[in-house]
Amino acid sequence: MAKPASGLSLLRTFSLTIAAIAVFFLIDTVLVRTEKAESRAAAARAYENGMRLMGQGRYVDAAGEFEDALALARENLTYTLALAQALLAADRLPKAEATLSDLLQRDGTGGAPNLAMARVLAKEGKFIDAVSYYHRAIYGRWTSDAARNRVQARSELVDFLVANHSTEGLLAELLPLQQEALGDLATQKKLAFAFIAAGSPARGAELFRDIVRREPQDPDGYAGLGEAEFARGNYRAARANFEAVLRLRPSDAASRQRLNLSNQVLALDPAQRGLSREEQYQRSLKILELAVASATECLASPMSATTRDLIDSANNILRKRNQPTRQVEAMDKNMQLADMIWQIRRSECGATSQTAIDLVLSRASQ
Amino acid sequence: MDELRQSENHLTLILSLLVGALVGLVVVAFILLTGRLAARMYPAGGAGWRRILVPTLGSLVTGYLLWRFFPSARGSGIPQTKAALFIQDGRITFRTVAGKFLCCSASLATGMALGREGPSVQIGAGLASVIARNAGLSSKQVKALVPVGCSAALAAAFNTPIAAVLFSLEEIMGDLNATVLGTAVLSSATSWMVLHLVLGDDPLFHVTGYRLINPWELADYAVLGIVGGLGSTVFVKLLLILRQRFAQLPRQTVWLQPVAGGLTVGIMGYFAPNVMGVGYSFVEQVLNGDVVLKTVVLLGVLKIIATSMCYSSGNAGGIFGPSLFIGAMMGGAVGSIAHTLFPSVTAGPGAYALVGMGTAFAGIVRTPLTSVIMIFEVTRDYTIIVPLMVSNLIAYFISSRFQKVPIYEALAEQDGVHLPTAEARAQAGRSQVAHAMREAPIILAADTPAYEAQERVKDSLLNAWPVVDQQGLYGMLRSAELEKAPVNGYAAKNVRDLLNEQSRNDPLHLESAHVHPDHTLSLALERMGSSGLRTLPVVSRANVRQLLGIVLLDDILDFFGVHQSADESETEE
Repeated sequence: MAKPASGLSLLRTFSLTIAAIAVFFLIDTVLVRTEKAESRAAAARAYENGMRLMGQGRYVDAAGEFEDALALARENLTYTLALAQALLAADRLPKAEATLSDLLQRDGTGGAPNLAMARVLAKEGKFIDAVSYYHRAIYGRWTSDAARNRVQARSELVDFLVANHSTEGLLAELLPLQQEALGDLATQKKLAFAFIAAGSPARGAELFRDIVRREPQDPDGYAGLGEAEFARGNYRAARANFEAVLRLRPSDAASRQRLNLSNQVLALDPAQRGLSREEQYQRSLKILELAVASATECLASPMSATTRDLIDSANNILRKRNQPTRQVEAMDKNMQLADMIWQIRRSECGATSQTAIDLVLSRASQ
Repeated sequence: MDELRQSENHLTLILSLLVGALVGLVVVAFILLTGRLAARMYPAGGAGWRRILVPTLGSLVTGYLLWRFFPSARGSGIPQTKAALFIQDGRITFRTVAGKFLCCSASLATGMALGREGPSVQIGAGLASVIARNAGLSSKQVKALVPVGCSAALAAAFNTPIAAVLFSLEEIMGDLNATVLGTAVLSSATSWMVLHLVLGDDPLFHVTGYRLINPWELADYAVLGIVGGLGSTVFVKLLLILRQRFAQLPRQTVWLQPVAGGLTVGIMGYFAPNVMGVGYSFVEQVLNGDVVLKTVVLLGVLKIIATSMCYSSGNAGGIFGPSLFIGAMMGGAVGSIAHTLFPSVTAGPGAYALVGMGTAFAGIVRTPLTSVIMIFEVTRDYTIIVPLMVSNLIAYFISSRFQKVPIYEALAEQDGVHLPTAEARAQAGRSQVAHAMREAPIILAADTPAYEAQERVKDSLLNAWPVVDQQGLYGMLRSAELEKAPVNGYAAKNVRDLLNEQSRNDPLHLESAHVHPDHTLSLALERMGSSGLRTLPVVSRANVRQLLGIVLLDDILDFFGVHQSADESETEE
């Protein structure tokens, strides 16, 4: 049982308690400082280990190290970003997305976290969100080497758009990238290909010409130029460039295939320069014949009355093969008939891989 | 100062603030010290042999210290705090506080699978008691300041100021309407403020936000409640059984017994390091959904065994933290299975681990309200409340059904401490045994020969006499047994033999035939009726073998005035 104390003993108790508070405050401060310093050092070690493992391609182990680092230094943005990148590389996408969401709440304008988020969303197939984050990365804040990082981000966006066959908006990304990436040959090649994919083969051809001029022994330059000319319908120029590729790199199967296709188009196309009218007419008959053969082979019987009529008309023309008096009109009629049969075939049987007749007819219809 | 003395309310408020600040700082020091030491003793990724050696040696050293210098610092601290509050007028010595700090720091730093919250509560309560007594407060005021220290301690140890207040009221006081609410809140808030001043605004667990995905998911949480309730019961029963077994070992081995816990946790830690220590870092991983079913099941089982062994063998540390660990593992396991079976209508395993923490706590500690608020405070996420309530109540119900006595009461009873029930406390101050008890005129030593005992009691008017041995009260020897001794050929035997014979015939006798000074006289009459004794021993709540006196039927009747009037009527006749 406590004895009643005087005011003096109360004062002494208060004084002792306050002194104890001061002492423990000092002890706690020292302990906290020690703990924080040790935690920071341990976190830095774990981060370094994680980076080493990333370099070795051991992404899951690296993520574990980064998690350890983060457990010790929760607010560290670098560690959080490294963890997200490791998770992304390890294909642990939901966790990577969650980590980046948390990071972006703290650093919403950072270029690097936005770029990482764009990569995660791109891998997850979230097209619209990914494009949005790519834009945030491009216009975000980069602590070092901002220009190069922005070009890198835009370049990745271009790749993403090309891979997703999104020509809409692609050109808008390519034009500034062309300005920013001047002098970089690899980027220029990628740009030139992207211009072709974006439906602007003329710009692509222009860039490839520049590349060929700077690197005349580079087969990729000729291959790209060949593709650009092919896309523009300049099959003769395309053929010349694919031949140049094969001279420099004879084993290039893709270029050989494109060369063959160019030759087939050139052999079939009635609109080629320097052909006589008779030759043009004969080519139109050949195209009609190929269209009928292809349609008859794939269309199910019985055919619709319209299709039957068209094929019968074509067969009549092909059977007679007489020399018309007005060859130009007859040629146009043949080409129109072939195009109609080809359209029906395409809608009923599905599109074929790029063939000579397809290219010739689409060019003729333009 | 003298003016301040006169105003009890002002003094209590000022002391609450001071206790809150001091306890907060001491508990922070305790936690930081434990953490730093543990990181050095058995560092993550360190050699496996260290994980065996460190807890074994640690338990050997702390075992000796606890046995030799700080016997009151053994175990959790919560039953001891309750005993101090209700039986010893709130008295906890500075030696106990220092011993608890030292021994628990050493014990937890060497990897014992025990918690830091219970010891923090005892440290906080002890500091409050020391300050109040030094300030010359009355015993009533000292008692009022003890739960204030408890609140401050838990607010700092678990970073949950509201749950800390609730825990003090619900578990320590056993009364949610206790008058100390205001001061408990004040000290809890002060302690929490100090904690944040020193450590910064960092929650204990960093958890992703969770929500109920589908109303049907409540069925999964109900399953978690069942698993949590059964798991809690297994844990509590295993701990109590092991503790009983250790208590039956020779007293000379008490200092060595903690090594059994240290060695067990060391061997487990060699293969599964996460079973060692408090384990909150692994809990956080599980809460964030980083769950491998096999791992969480294994760790949950290992932790139940490790904590039971560490605690029952007499190491210093609590079961509050381990309860949360076990709950998180059970929740992680149930959540993992549920999410695999019904991925579209269930949250990730982390959400279940979170609810599982509260569920196990409700099942083991039996404070359902505290557990709900605590998880809410830890996560700062309101959306988890409903599943938590469903799961907690089921676990609480199952646990109450299979383990009648709550763990802290059961632990106190094993130590021979009979904590008063809420009902008994409510009746305090009314007609109590203390008002009618007297000193025992004759106390027989257990080794007294029966014939000598007969000689000593032949002029006594009592019908039973207390028998004591070296540990204290051994039993009550009835006159009938003593009279039968020569007839049965027991005259040459001693009193202990007669008592043993008596307890064989009446196994309930020793357990039921005693009262405490704060028991009501009506309860004493009931116990006299059930035991057939007109004389009951009055024993201490802190130690049921400490004889304080006896209470006679005649004395009780005298107290109520019944006996006197009977005499008067006889006189008139």
